[in-house]
Order: sequence, then C-alpha cells, then structure tokens
Amino acid sequence: MNSDSFVKTENLTRIYSSGTIEVVALRNVSLSLDQGQFFGVTGASGSGKSTLMNLLAGLDRPSSGSIKVEGRLISELDKDELALYRRHQVGMIFQSFNLVSSYSALENVAFPLLFAGVAKKERNKRAEQMLEKVGLYPRKDHRPFELSGGEQQRTAIARALINQPKILLADEPTGNLDSITSRQIVQILSDLNKKQGLTVIMISHEESLLDEFADDVIHLQDGKVVQEERIR
Amino acid sequence: MRISDYIEQSFSNLWKKKLRTLLTIFGVMIGIGALVSMFSFGQGIQDNITNTFNELQLFNYVSVYPRSENNHAIPSSEHPGVPEQAGPYSQILDDEFIRDITETEGVESAFPEVRFPAMIRFNDEEKFSLVQVLPADVCQSGLMKLRAGRPYAPADSNALIISDSLLRRMKVKEPQTVIGQKIVISTLTVDLSLSNIPNIVSFLMGKGLPFSRQSYQFTIVGITEKMGFVGPMPVRSDVFIKPAESNDMKKLSLTSIWDLFQSSQQAKGYSMVNIKLSSTKYIEHVKDKMEDRGFRTFALIDHLEEMKTGFMFMNMFLFAVGMIAITVAALGIINTMVMSILERYKEIGIMKAVGASDGDVKKIFLFESGAIGFLGGVLGLALGWLVSMIINQVVNYFMVKQGAPYMDYFSFRWWLVSGAIVFSILISLAAGIYPTMRAARVDPVVALRHD
Repeated sequence: MNSDSFVKTENLTRIYSSGTIEVVALRNVSLSLDQGQFFGVTGASGSGKSTLMNLLAGLDRPSSGSIKVEGRLISELDKDELALYRRHQVGMIFQSFNLVSSYSALENVAFPLLFAGVAKKERNKRAEQMLEKVGLYPRKDHRPFELSGGEQQRTAIARALINQPKILLADEPTGNLDSITSRQIVQILSDLNKKQGLTVIMISHEESLLDEFADDVIHLQDGKVVQEERIR
Repeated sequence: MRISDYIEQSFSNLWKKKLRTLLTIFGVMIGIGALVSMFSFGQGIQDNITNTFNELQLFNYVSVYPRSENNHAIPSSEHPGVPEQAGPYSQILDDEFIRDITETEGVESAFPEVRFPAMIRFNDEEKFSLVQVLPADVCQSGLMKLRAGRPYAPADSNALIISDSLLRRMKVKEPQTVIGQKIVISTLTVDLSLSNIPNIVSFLMGKGLPFSRQSYQFTIVGITEKMGFVGPMPVRSDVFIKPAESNDMKKLSLTSIWDLFQSSQQAKGYSMVNIKLSSTKYIEHVKDKMEDRGFRTFALIDHLEEMKTGFMFMNMFLFAVGMIAITVAALGIINTMVMSILERYKEIGIMKAVGASDGDVKKIFLFESGAIGFLGGVLGLALGWLVSMIINQVVNYFMVKQGAPYMDYFSFRWWLVSGAIVFSILISLAAGIYPTMRAARVDPVVALRHD
C-alpha cells in the first residue's frame, strides 16, 4: 500500500454494541485510494458498505483503526473538526436522496453554504450555477416531491458539490432509480471524476455499473474485504 | 453561520408551521401580558402613592402629641423595667405652643390636628364627612391648593372650603358655581336637655344614644383641588373651617373610640399638632427638640423604608402570579420545540451531513425558541397594555362617578417595556435549552436512515 495515498484506512473496525450484544459491522478494513480514482464498493446487504461510507464521511467514528485523508488523521478529529471536514472535504449523495422536503431545489443546493457562512446572494448565485451544470436550472423553485427520482438525485449531486469537495461519497445512488436513470446518474459521477479529477467512492450492489465505470472495486462480506479488483 | 441567517432561518421555519407557532406565541403572549399588567399595576399604585405623598409634601411633616399618661405602668423599650416618665419640660399642646414652635428654624407652619365627623348638607343632598379645623393663616399660607374661590381670612365669618370630590358626590356638575352659596354642617352632640327627652328615654331603655343634631350654616368661599390639603396623614378631609367657628359648635370632639378613653386625662390642649417644615433636612432637628420637651413625634418619612418593603412584597406577589402564566407558556415552548425536532429529525441529519456542527444545530433551534419569545413578548406587551387601558378606563368610569379623582392605576415604564421583551426572550431561550440539546445529540447516521 502506498503511504502517501489520498485516502487511506488501516485496520478500520466498527463494532456496534447494544446492551451485551456486539455486532461487528466492519473488521480490519485497510484501503488505499489515489486522488482522482473512481472507487467502487459492493457486497450484500449488511456487509458493512454503509458503515464504511459513514466512517469515510466523518459521520461516524471507528471503534479501532484509522482513516487518513490527504495525510490528515480523520479518525482523531473532534466533533467540530469533523463538521468542518464534512463541510469542505467531502460531498455525499444517498439512495433516498435526503433532500429537505420543505425546501426548493435551489434552497437544498445552497444549504451547505449556509453553514459555511456564505452570504445569501452569493449562496443563491452559486446554487443556480450548480443547478445549471446538472441541467436543473429551470426546476430550481420546485420542491423535492415535484421532481422525479433522477432530478432529485441530480439536485443532491449539485448540493454535494457546492462546497467544491475533493471526495464524493455516493451511498447506493441508483438504488431508487430505474436502469436508464441509474446509468445517467453514474455517468454524471464518472464525468465529474474524469473531467474534474473528483475522487468518487460509490457503493452499489449493481456490479455491472461498477464494472462499467469504476477503476477499482472491493467486495465486502460480513465486514471484511473479501476481494479487490482492479478494473482499469 | 451568520446571525442574519440564523434569524431568517428561525422565522422561516416557524412560518412553515403557522398554526402551531401561533398557538405557542399566544401562550407566551398571555403569560407576558399577565406579567406586564401585574407589574404596571404594582408600579401604578406605587407611583400614585409616592407622587401624592411628594405632591402634598407629606414627608415634610412632623406630628407632635403628648405622651399618654396611661403608659406609666408600661416599661419603655429603651429602659426595660423603668417606667416611662414624662419629661421635665412636658407641656400642653396649646396655641402658645404653636406660636412658639413656629419660631423654630425650618418650621413653615404649625397647626393643631382637629377633625370631627359631621353631616354636610348642600341643596337636597346630605353626605357624611370629616370636617378639618384649619387656622386661617395656614389656609392662606399656600399649603391649600384651590381650584376655585379663595382661602378664608381671619375676618371671614362662617367661611368654609369644600373639596371638589365631595361636591361631585353631592351631584354638583360644575363646582365653580357654588362659590358664595350656603351650606349646612350638622354635628352630633350629647344632649341631656329637656328638649331631647325622647332620645334620653330610649338611651335609658338601652336603645340608641342621647344625641341630638345641631346645624350650622356656612358660606362656601373656596374649592380645593383633588388633593387640596392633607396635613401629615394620608387621610383626606373634604371640608375645612376656622377654629373660631369650630369652637362655637356643639359637637363630640372625637374622631375615634380611642378619644373616649383619652378625654378625661387630657382636659386641656390639642391631642396633636402638625408641624410643616420647609425641608426634610430639619426633621431630625425638630423631632429631637420636641422629644426633649417631653412630646412624642411621628414623621411619615421614618416609615419610608417600611413602605418600600411593602411595595417590594406587593411586586413580588404580583410577579409570582404572572410567573404562573409564564411557566405554562414555557412548557408550551418546550412542547413545540420537541415536536419540531422530532418532525425535523431527518433534516437535522442532513444539516450535519452537509457540514453543520452541533453548535450550528443548537443555535438554529435556540434562535427559533428565541423568536417565539420575541414575538410573544412584543404581542404580550401590547396585550398587557390594552388590557390595562381597558381596566383603567372602566375602573375610572365608576370611580369618577363616585367622586374620586381620575387616576392612572397602571404605569408603563421604559424598563417594563424593554424588560418584558428581554424577559420573554430569556424565558423562551431557557425553555429551548432541553429541546436544543436533544437536537444537537441527534446521530446523523441514524437520522439519515430515518423516514
């Protein structure tokens, strides 16, 4: 493994305990990613994919092991530092889109800028530009329930990119979409990866999509990496 | 996040749940309204009393009265076990004493405290009232505030000054028109003469008293303002006459049952003399002088601290009543905020996922409860003011009809206005602490999976 990798995990373990019962969600996962890679993670339900994603996103903390991003030890950051990491370093998209239902598409995209302390005028300007890029500018004033699944996911991508992160984490981004829309969404991620050098880490159980777009794919089973594939 | 964003976010989030927000704000509004009207009432009463005292210069008076000879057997507090003795210079409170004391430095005037109960008859109306006997020079000294007419002079015979409020009670609409008109004072007197035989007989049979009425005619020369003249006691007299006329009247010269017990021992002199000083700084000097001469003294200013304590207790009581409403409102805020957080559970997860810190989440919800407090405070202030004004108008409508002067029973000070809003915000922020902590503790991983 390369010691100056862009993203590097070492013996990453996450154990959930409820009462006396302990569930090992992730066990000794060591990964190494270069900047600009499109990295795929696959596996059955409960194999630890989402746990890995939450740890990489700084939403959760490992029980043991470490995560380094650009040489910085993410697993040791305090709560406020993690918030800053999530705000500036990573963007996330989800299977269920996770848009705020009472906000318009524009407000959803501008939402992360609110916490970054950007003035309202500037927030709206940047959110409009971002919506333009994902082809949703005409629908900027629509609420999520007025948008199709694909449009909602494009809104979520715009939101994830508004703070210009270096890593995009996609947790089953196509899980709620039909196959054509799924391909369109992953194509957008691939374009971002190829044209802008964005590091993309995508969880999917649709291996065909990963085979088509990802550079590397790991297979998780019961919290362990059981297979690593270098596709291209 | 910017402060302006917190404010905008809080109002826009509250606006999304209009009904719930409005109901919660109404709760705060009623609480603050109750507190504001309670406080303004307490302040109004306090203002009315202290303003009246200051206006009438009640604090500039010292009352002097003889040591009661009944006290001889009671040990004084300063020397337990030693019976209190009248001083060697003990004097009688008579006209000579008054002339003498008027010469003292700082004394503006001195006059005996003489009041007696009587029936006052004017046109066809008859009312019971206290008649105060006031020397002409005191009446002319400027202590008496007149609305119409003039103070009586020593040469006037059977002159009388009457209060505006008594005239109103006697259904006189325009008090100025009564100057120069006749008025009758009827006194009660113990009458054991033959003409009173029916009353004496019934008294001996155990029914009634051997009293008869004596009537005297006076001419109205002046009408006092609402608080025309009081003397050192905050008890208002409605009718004033000169000592000469009073001395000629047959009457029971007692104002309370207590006088019945005193009368045998105080055959001579007045029971009390009031001394008006030009400034409160002479109070101690005059009191010491009088006490050296064997008199007892009373000055209202000595009781100022007690009055202040009394006002404080009244305010605390009113505050406690208002706080009940505030507590209920605060529970309403907690309920609303907890509901809001449960509803926006997923939204909190999203906030954290896109980079909000726990502090950001806390502040977003604290600003929301603060906004409820601000709106509730402003509306509560308006409600409190409105209710106070209505009560004030209604009470005054009836009181003025009864002859009482118009007064503001409520007082709104700047500190009450600003304090109410600040207090409302603080209470709401306090009520928001628990829900806010809950919001900050939300685990984004769980919240993002939540539907």
